[in-house]
Amino acid sequence: MISLHVFQDSLASLAEPHQQRDVVSIAAVSALISLILGIVVSAGEFTHGTIGQTFLVAPVRERVLGAKVLATAVAGAVLGLASCAFAWALGALLLKSRSVPVHLFSGTALRLVLGIALAAAFTGAFGIGFGSLLRRQTAAIVIALVWLLVGEPLLGVAQVERYGPGHIVASIVEAGDQGSDLLAFGPGLAVAVVYVAVAGGLGAAVLRRTDIT
Amino acid sequence: MAAPLEARGLTKRFGSTTAVDNLTFAIEPGRITGFLGPNGAGKTTTLRMLLGLVHATGGEALVEGAPYRKLRDPARTVGAVLEASSYHPGRSGRNHLRVLATAAGIPSERVDETLEQVELSGPARRPVKTYSLGMRQRLSVAAALLGSPSLLVLDEPANGLDPEGIRWLRNFLRSFADSGGTVFISSHVLAEIAQLADEVVIIHKAKLVAHEPLAALTGRAAGGTVVRSPDAERLGERLAAAGIEATAADDGGLRVAAPPERVGEVAAEAAIVLHELRGESASLEEVFLELTGGER
Repeated sequence: MISLHVFQDSLASLAEPHQQRDVVSIAAVSALISLILGIVVSAGEFTHGTIGQTFLVAPVRERVLGAKVLATAVAGAVLGLASCAFAWALGALLLKSRSVPVHLFSGTALRLVLGIALAAAFTGAFGIGFGSLLRRQTAAIVIALVWLLVGEPLLGVAQVERYGPGHIVASIVEAGDQGSDLLAFGPGLAVAVVYVAVAGGLGAAVLRRTDIT
Repeated sequence: MAAPLEARGLTKRFGSTTAVDNLTFAIEPGRITGFLGPNGAGKTTTLRMLLGLVHATGGEALVEGAPYRKLRDPARTVGAVLEASSYHPGRSGRNHLRVLATAAGIPSERVDETLEQVELSGPARRPVKTYSLGMRQRLSVAAALLGSPSLLVLDEPANGLDPEGIRWLRNFLRSFADSGGTVFISSHVLAEIAQLADEVVIIHKAKLVAHEPLAALTGRAAGGTVVRSPDAERLGERLAAAGIEATAADDGGLRVAAPPERVGEVAAEAAIVLHELRGESASLEEVFLELTGGER
């Protein structure tokens, strides 16, 4: 996708810092990977039946959930940064191959990197709560993907799609740069915190009551 | 000191089904207690309530006097071997144990020690999906031993094991108990437990039917006598006069609810000729079946 971007756009437009920023923005896919990671780390334990042993060594279930939220948030952020670094290096290489001056260190690009890392941290943390709620790995991943592809666009009918989780992630990634239909960075972050808290709270409530048979 | 494991009026209902009904027992430290009952009697649910995995509908499940979730250091208090196959197939046995050790705050050296203890050092780095059932079971035992607990709880550990695996497990548990450990082991096959347990807790249809030393269970099996005499009718009368119940068997003999010594004495006093006098003992299996209503 990075090479598509670099090779299809005209040389003149690629020289713009804003266009080059889009080269890195592909790394935002790490937010989706981080979400799946969160689901695998939580629901996967039920799928593989390891949750019993986990709760034997750590019987306070809310604490297990909290630890996973933190760990996956950190892992998500690292994944986001690594994806950006990869996209940046590949983008710079391809831009150079077309002899376009590289402006990937612009302020907008750096803000994007931060946005992606933050977004991936949030989706990872959300994935833990969501996965704990459903406790079925495949079902949770399928539901998340169907939501992003079908459910969330339907929110547009009621003109509330910008509060949907996918759009909230986008508003953090974009960091208020563009996209008039998105929330600004601050409000986007606030809604993301609410999403993580609600998913985590519901996940904890379900975990606490679940019989591990 | 609190009992290693204790159930007080422990009850679990799933919807309208009562899986465990008002179960009360406490096991002794330093002994091997068998937890017996037919399949579906409620053994697994009871064990999982004791281990904090299943919520009790009523009553209390206590480990060392406290609910499992209140234990300060559960992995160092009790080791549990639940039913096999709860592994991520792609992870190695060693990796599985390292994750558990980390979560329990146990130094990772213990991982290799326990792998050695269960004789699994060789395949430790292979994915669990390549393990035989016996190897998986030993990996479960290794996980239970990570925190060097003095109490082991095992749920049907012999299921699916070959005779060699069962022998290994029996020897292992015996030496664990000999060094002062407490073992609570469930099974639906009495024979597995008979060679191992000091005590038995027997449940049937969610209820406790017996909690006694294995010797007492054996005692229930012994005691009857079969006696044959040309003068069976008079012998029966004399036995009845001595307060001993005797019933005529189909083959002309008498089945007497007393040890052979006593029957012999009664016969001698009355100068009754005996053609046969033998003690009759039911097998442990028969006693077990009788206690559990003949179901397996």
